[in-house]
Amino acid sequence: MLIAHQLTKRYGPTLAVDRLSLTVKKGEIMGFLGPNGAGKSTTMRMLVGSLPPTAGHATLDGHDVLTDAAAARRKLGYLPENNPLYPEMRTDEFLHFCGRLHRMPRTERRARIGVVAERCGLSHLRRRTLGRLSKGNRQRVGLAAALLHNPPVLVLDEPTAGLDPQQIVQVRTLIRELAGDHTVLLSSHILPEIQRVADRVVILAQGVKVAQGTLDELRRQSIAAHAPAVYAEVQAHAEGCQTALTPLTQAGATLTITPDGIDPRWSRVTLKPAAGGPSDLREDMATALSAASLTVRELRREDTSLEAFFTRVTDPESIAATAGASL
Amino acid sequence: MSAKLMLNPILTLARRELIGLFASPIGYVVLALFALGSGLVFAVGFAPGQPAAMTTTFDATVWLLVFLAPAISMRLLSEEMARGTLERLGTSPVSDTQVILGKWLAAMAFLALLFIPLLIQIGLLIWHGDPDFGPLLSGLLGVVLVGALYLAVGTFASAATENQIIAFLLAMFVIAGLTFLFFFLPESGVLPATVRAAVLYANVNRQFAEFNRGVIDLRNVLYFVSMTGLFLFLAVKLLESRRWR
Repeated sequence: MLIAHQLTKRYGPTLAVDRLSLTVKKGEIMGFLGPNGAGKSTTMRMLVGSLPPTAGHATLDGHDVLTDAAAARRKLGYLPENNPLYPEMRTDEFLHFCGRLHRMPRTERRARIGVVAERCGLSHLRRRTLGRLSKGNRQRVGLAAALLHNPPVLVLDEPTAGLDPQQIVQVRTLIRELAGDHTVLLSSHILPEIQRVADRVVILAQGVKVAQGTLDELRRQSIAAHAPAVYAEVQAHAEGCQTALTPLTQAGATLTITPDGIDPRWSRVTLKPAAGGPSDLREDMATALSAASLTVRELRREDTSLEAFFTRVTDPESIAATAGASL
Repeated sequence: MSAKLMLNPILTLARRELIGLFASPIGYVVLALFALGSGLVFAVGFAPGQPAAMTTTFDATVWLLVFLAPAISMRLLSEEMARGTLERLGTSPVSDTQVILGKWLAAMAFLALLFIPLLIQIGLLIWHGDPDFGPLLSGLLGVVLVGALYLAVGTFASAATENQIIAFLLAMFVIAGLTFLFFFLPESGVLPATVRAAVLYANVNRQFAEFNRGVIDLRNVLYFVSMTGLFLFLAVKLLESRRWR
């Protein structure tokens, strides 16, 4: 439905976006994730045809966004970065203006404005001047404007920026409801937000796509790429732990033991898998410790959450290391 | 695209623009300045024994427009660029031509409002005297055409920059070229005869003088229509080029 093919944007010597390709399937919600300045907005602007790429092209429901712009724009609902509005207009006036630009007949316009105002929680703000609305409410007006003509494709640049936690939940629910009959691409630099709404995620850093897939796929990738250590708290001194885990250290795993700061009878054990060896050492470790009859009060794999993965893949050094290899 | 479909977005844009024109204090300042300026000139000539004509007021109007027209037009696109709202228009199903025409049309509607004092003055002439309607109407058409051209120049200048002050100055600079420069340059005698004739032709005031004399010559009308069209076309090209920068 929404396809980017090798999109590249160069500002003078700076490469803002580098050969980025992505496909958002019909009815899918795709999250576009990356730290600030990663090139998310630049990519989105190229995807909606408001910024021409240096190279590559984008299509929206089969229409090239530059050469067949009129057809593409009719199917697009777009919330630009920073959600620019006309401060002197009232909410209703603005929504009518947007509806007219999309050539919606008056009765349809009225009905749709009622619907989107309701869904975006604007019903009580329809007579208010936009310039006097809070940032969160302005954001909702921008969202309502993007939804107004019921476009099959929605591109939302940071839709939850400036919202309070309660409003974020509302917007998230709203976007979830759109799935199925709408194709949505939304960006954020906050992972949990994307995690809760998106079916699939593309992670962007320094203008390069560093990862993509469903959330589970990303978790799996994360584990495969960076075998996480296993952490345990064992009732034994360092030597006891070391002896118990000898079979594993002999196989190449790295062992670190620190005494528990509060109760000296306990030790904190971290076992890092050997490169190329089995990536999940939890079972082996549990077996080894129970074979040595040691009491264990905690055993878990170190943080494999997407947050850690996100931080890792967007780390400038790791991008520099993998650049070229991934392309 | 049918005419109606082409026109609808233009009117929508023009309508929104008028809301913007009246939301800013500049609109009211311009209206007041023109009412005052044209009123003063009219009042001086509005006396027993003076000819019942608007020629002096119309001349003054053309001069007042040199800086009032840029003041009206400077915000048209600059403001949308600075606010970022132009991106919203750029991703709506409207063309750059429609955006420019909508903006210019809004400025023209504002010009109609600006000229209300002129209509009142004409009414006073009719009430107290016996004016010749020919020059009155042709002069009125003349100032509207001058206004249309200046606002087209202003729209062009506004499409060039997101800074309203620069848009104002640029428009005034171009308009000054069309009036002062093209007046003094031929006078100076440094130009070859053919160039001199061309420059004289391009001088706005000379073209307007014919209307103010009571003559509606197709050639003069064509001058204003084509110059207005030229600047609007340049404005569209400028707006298009913005996407490629």
